[in-house]
Amino acid sequence: MSGLAELSVTAAADAFAKGEATAEAMVQACLDRIEAHDVQVNAVIRLDAAAALEAAAAQDKARAGGAKPGPLSGVPMMHKDMYYRAGKVSTCGSAIRRDFVPTVTATALQRLDAAGAIDMGTLNMAEFAQNPTGHNAHYGDCHNPWGLPYCTGGSSSGSGAGVAARFFAAALGSDTGGSIRLPASICGVTGIKGTQTRVPRTGVMPLSFSMDNVGPLTRTARDAARIMTIISGSDGIDPTAAPEAVPDYEAALTGDLRGLRVAVPHEWFFDSADDIVMTGFEAALEVLKARGATVDFVACPSLRAIGAYVAVVSRVEGATIHANWMREHPGDYAIHLSGRLYGGYAIPGTYYLEALSRRGALLRQFCKEAFAGHDIVATPTLRMRVPTLAETDIDVDAVANWARHMAVSANTRPFNYLGLPTVSIPCGFDDRGLPMGLQLAARPFGEGRALMVADAYQQDTDWHARVPALAATTPAAP
Amino acid sequence: MSSEPDPPAMAAISLWAGVACPNAAGRRSLDDFAALIQEFEALQGSMAFEDEPSAFEYALRAEAETGA
Repeated sequence: MSGLAELSVTAAADAFAKGEATAEAMVQACLDRIEAHDVQVNAVIRLDAAAALEAAAAQDKARAGGAKPGPLSGVPMMHKDMYYRAGKVSTCGSAIRRDFVPTVTATALQRLDAAGAIDMGTLNMAEFAQNPTGHNAHYGDCHNPWGLPYCTGGSSSGSGAGVAARFFAAALGSDTGGSIRLPASICGVTGIKGTQTRVPRTGVMPLSFSMDNVGPLTRTARDAARIMTIISGSDGIDPTAAPEAVPDYEAALTGDLRGLRVAVPHEWFFDSADDIVMTGFEAALEVLKARGATVDFVACPSLRAIGAYVAVVSRVEGATIHANWMREHPGDYAIHLSGRLYGGYAIPGTYYLEALSRRGALLRQFCKEAFAGHDIVATPTLRMRVPTLAETDIDVDAVANWARHMAVSANTRPFNYLGLPTVSIPCGFDDRGLPMGLQLAARPFGEGRALMVADAYQQDTDWHARVPALAATTPAAP
Repeated sequence: MSSEPDPPAMAAISLWAGVACPNAAGRRSLDDFAALIQEFEALQGSMAFEDEPSAFEYALRAEAETGA
């Protein structure tokens, strides 16, 4: 079989289960891609090649011996470097934790391990998951495989870039303000953040305990559905994890959009949107209509309050947990991060508590506005074309680039405050050849609905199947 | 760093949190607060006396997708 590194999660698992490809061959194909192209992309922080090949060989031996494969057996993955694995360094993309060795393994990693996934190492990310562009002053910026001068989106930069570059089939990211959906959109892959509380966060670096989410970046909605089914559900350790039973999200991918009612909010998501983004979004809606969906614009005046409150919650929570390091060695942070954290100490406690206290009422109001007569909310994932790394680098020029840097996550942040399950899927390319994303949000615990719509869209389009043309390079001598 | 006078927020941060302004980006981050204060002022009166953070988890279940 050729192109093993290009297999999706479900295709790789099927190939392994049927004996059409060995785990070792699939891992080696991904390692070859990384060796050829990561010098350009810089998605990888730590590569555990030998351990991955050893794990793959063990799986091949077990399968040859008649062992029943798991739903992710033989599937090569890597993860954002903030998922703790006991005994392995987890840098969190920072200098401060360059040598941090956790004593616990994240629940999400344990569940992927049990399902048979092969973990090849850790991925680049924004420092402490705190920027929407993927800049990293300590490990180097991650570069977009569709255009190396362009940003990848963050904070799960290596996850998005690596899935797009076919370095592995899937990766975990995390999403507090868009950190899964932004790199998914900007790198042309699929990403989902679940309902707040859907996936346990045990063993995951915290940023904002009210809005942090664990989720996958993949090439297809079907892949995301399989992984979400595996990692969701209470682990009995994270007290915030929802006890609700987890459905088989993959089984719900019927492709049937007949009668589906799509709401597009008038407010917020189109403020100063680029024309090419609007064109791509409107074309995506036509695809849904052709499958039987109806589309309506709806008024969502609650978004004004949501936009104000969301700006406060993660900023205060992030500043709080970083306070000791900000007092003791602020120079160990990148300029943009210490600058962003600094402002969080000036926000009054009354503002923070008001923002948290209004969250339930505003969720109810938004659901009434958007979902009373509709099943799904659709928006562009970004309002703007993909910016370059230089255009959004606030370490170099905070004054000139601040507004553009912060605007990157304008369309994703509201869904973190609302806690709604939200998917981003590729829906075309802009006039500079960079991907654009369609964002789909459902009611709480409606991951299956959002993934079903995303999968139906992908049955009629091939944006998600396109591969960036990275030039072959020769790795530098060690 | 800017030659502008230090905004009052910097003294408050130093007093309450013991954190010094690290760089120009830190100072720039304070510039957003005028707009944030205006947004909160516009929302005055919308918070109910009984609102509290735990209402969010309840709302997640109350508004859940049917059959999820």
